[in-house]
Amino acid sequence: MTAALLWPALVIMAPLLLGPLLALGHESLKPFTSGRIGGDDAGALTLANYAQIAAPEYARYFLDTFRVGLISLAFALLLGFPMAHFIVRRAAPVTRRLLIGGLVGTLFLSIIVRIYAIAMTFGPNGPLAGFSRMLGIAPSSPDGAELMVVLGLMNTTLPLVALTLIGTLQNINPRLEEAAMSLGAPRWKTFFQVTAAMSLPGILSAGIIAYAFCISNLVVPMLVGRGSILFVSNLIYFRFSEVANFPSGAALSIVMMVLSVALFYGLLHLVRSNWQEAGK
Amino acid sequence: MPMTRRDFTRVVLTGSGLATAGTLTGGLATPASAADRLLVVQWGANWIEVSKQITADFNKTNPTQIAWELHSGGAAAVVAKIKAVWPNTQYNVLSVWDPVFRAMIKEDWLLPIDESIVTNLATIPDQFIQKNDKGQKMSVPLSTAGAFWGYREDLLPGGFNSVEDLLRPEFKGKLCVPYPIGLTGLFIVSCALQRGGNEKNAEPGWDLVKELASKGQIGMIATNNSEYINAMSSGEYSVGFWNNGGWYATAKNFPVKLKNRMPDNKSFLYNEGFCVLKGSPAKAAFEFANFFAEPKMNELYNMNLGSGPTQPSAKTNPMLADWYYKPDELSKYAYFADFAYLGSVMNEWNARWEREIVPLVRRG
Amino acid sequence: MSGLSISKRLADALFEAAYLSLITLFIAFSVIPVIVAVVLSFDARSFIGPFPPKQFSLRWYESFLADSYYRDGLVTSLILATVATLIATIAGTLAAIALSRATFRGRAALQAALLSPLVVPNVVLGFGMLIFASRLGIIDGMTRLIMGHVLITFPYVMRTTAASLVGIKASYYEAALSLGAKPWKALAQVTLPLARTGILAGAVFGFVTSFDDVGVSLFLTDAYTFTLPVAILAQMRANLDLTIAALSVVFIVATVLLIVLLDRLAGLDAIVGRGVYGR
Repeated sequence: MTAALLWPALVIMAPLLLGPLLALGHESLKPFTSGRIGGDDAGALTLANYAQIAAPEYARYFLDTFRVGLISLAFALLLGFPMAHFIVRRAAPVTRRLLIGGLVGTLFLSIIVRIYAIAMTFGPNGPLAGFSRMLGIAPSSPDGAELMVVLGLMNTTLPLVALTLIGTLQNINPRLEEAAMSLGAPRWKTFFQVTAAMSLPGILSAGIIAYAFCISNLVVPMLVGRGSILFVSNLIYFRFSEVANFPSGAALSIVMMVLSVALFYGLLHLVRSNWQEAGK
Repeated sequence: MPMTRRDFTRVVLTGSGLATAGTLTGGLATPASAADRLLVVQWGANWIEVSKQITADFNKTNPTQIAWELHSGGAAAVVAKIKAVWPNTQYNVLSVWDPVFRAMIKEDWLLPIDESIVTNLATIPDQFIQKNDKGQKMSVPLSTAGAFWGYREDLLPGGFNSVEDLLRPEFKGKLCVPYPIGLTGLFIVSCALQRGGNEKNAEPGWDLVKELASKGQIGMIATNNSEYINAMSSGEYSVGFWNNGGWYATAKNFPVKLKNRMPDNKSFLYNEGFCVLKGSPAKAAFEFANFFAEPKMNELYNMNLGSGPTQPSAKTNPMLADWYYKPDELSKYAYFADFAYLGSVMNEWNARWEREIVPLVRRG
Repeated sequence: MSGLSISKRLADALFEAAYLSLITLFIAFSVIPVIVAVVLSFDARSFIGPFPPKQFSLRWYESFLADSYYRDGLVTSLILATVATLIATIAGTLAAIALSRATFRGRAALQAALLSPLVVPNVVLGFGMLIFASRLGIIDGMTRLIMGHVLITFPYVMRTTAASLVGIKASYYEAALSLGAKPWKALAQVTLPLARTGILAGAVFGFVTSFDDVGVSLFLTDAYTFTLPVAILAQMRANLDLTIAALSVVFIVATVLLIVLLDRLAGLDAIVGRGVYGR
């Protein structure tokens, strides 16, 4: 019975998972001649494509990707958790429905549309152009570009984070908080030491999903990064679309994939060994 | 999978209103009774607008059906897509520019232009036409376009007289330049010319770009027309190096001054136009290209693009009067880059830009 | 004692202020861009100038309606998201149930492998799928897109269904078996109805993921088959005019209608769930 249930997934997913992986792996070993399109099928396999991206300058792009993703995630959690808490614990039924509708709605709203709206809002001519100046960042500087990328990523992950945390908070017994407060604990202490502490597995699992979303993003840096904030995804896409260097793009893809999988399963393992229910 | 590929294709074609009698994978199967069908790749915005207008005229006398696809990104992207499926591509006619013509001629994908059908090719100056190793004509040039330095006159009343001036403090963060692949590296070639080099001796150019980047002069790196037009329209950036299409769109709304006659630098001229892929219904494709190359249509096409026509008898958009050179100015101000060579170094230049320039811009 | 309670009250007030301002910021960040997009879609200027515009017109809506390009993309996206979600939901639900019962070695590894597309960048998946499909000689855009989109929607369905199965005791299913029900019947009549919420939520997430995807689709579209996001991106890259703002507004209106419809049909709470301590 179990086997019968598993077969459809295996038959469909095994080729879809393994095929691209093997194809990328093979492509990444092909030699590339500048000016040609795609790898040279006739040439002997080589590790040159990996050697090229082993240059220390490329580590920057990986670091930038992981760093900017982390900043965006931190803001998304900072804003998302109170919102989820408000919806679960405080909102009246009508407000709750309205807010959840808004969250699901933003989730449905095309990411390109949202990034476009952000570019117009916080861009040099937008009504909130002053926001970056308030933070001491010139809007037209590379730091301004980074801020736009952070805002874009945060905006795309906010509904995802909030909706996941709603699920978590709903399964925490409100009596525990009431008990803590009736024993004289201040609100903030209850919030951090009871509510937030008990939600930690949920926060971690929302964080992991949102982080995966951030660091794999192509569109946000492409549309608002102004060419100075580039994620690894952008480097891969440029190799495919602009220089037709498939082997180098494939090598970058393989490295990024190995790093992402190692990072996330490492994190999940860490989380699971400390908090049992997390990361489901 | 529960449905066959054929079913999917039919569902999609019907759904999107693209279905024609019996043709499922355009270009591959062409029933004798039905009219031919061409898939043409064109740039968006002004390009597609004027092309649709001309095609409406074309269809008054010719039943060939035209379907359009837009370039998403640089014109080179479509080359990568063709490579992935070659020789089963669905495309027939491509609107591209010189470096992409070179890449496709190198791959041996193009049909030589049949001059018995494309009769209008005869009046287009021969130096505009791309040829293969055997000397066969492979392109139908429709526009003369260029890449120039320029600035917003309203924001920078003083302007500048040399690219070297742009190293001055008042230009910090004001430059918007193309990603090196955009315009096939012409930005770097321009910097090389400035310092006495050229595309084959680009080292002086890289040095100048590094100086600009490390001083924080480069505020934005644009990868496409829309980014450039917006950057220039926003007023955040006031100096740039871009193609005439981007400058023309900016100049419609703001005063723009092109620095195409600087004593110590040169501007680039090149051609855009059509080419026909092998495996296409050749007669229909050539008839279509010929219609666009007809002097009146050529005039209409370029009026709307802000480019120069390739037919000598076609009039030029008066707004561009100052943008292009008189014949005697050509040798002084125009530079015709070796795009075949540039195409062969794009991969290294891209990697070099990522390694050496972006980190400097980022820090600047 | 009273000093303590004052400082406690002060701390509470500070906390409350921080709490409410974070919620306000959340709403501001989510809502203001939407308002800006709506206003700009009525902008009469042909470039993106200072906000707010002084003259208004419907020109971007007209240009949106006149362009069949977006409509073609929308149709493809809807068909693609539906087919991919259907395949992924059937396979993903069954796999989630199987894995929740299974005890064989390597179960965790298999689960991790099936969920791995969640953490691999879409660009990598799309690029790999393009090379894979071209090696197989698959050049049809829709087939390639469906392959790519099943890959990215499957993990969402499986993950959400698996999460909803945790709360359903295997003993219900076993009870049905011991009462003489055939395994398939027990599955169909006991387990599936109980996991309904999770499956529905997974399918919704999957559909949205497919409908909104850019990274995978960019590589897999072909001349006649392009998705709506790819069509929008191509337009944006060609010339960023405000037709996209008009399209955004159409999107927003459609989304609101969809949410209202979803609420009427299933109740939003069915998607989010009420939790163990739901009020």
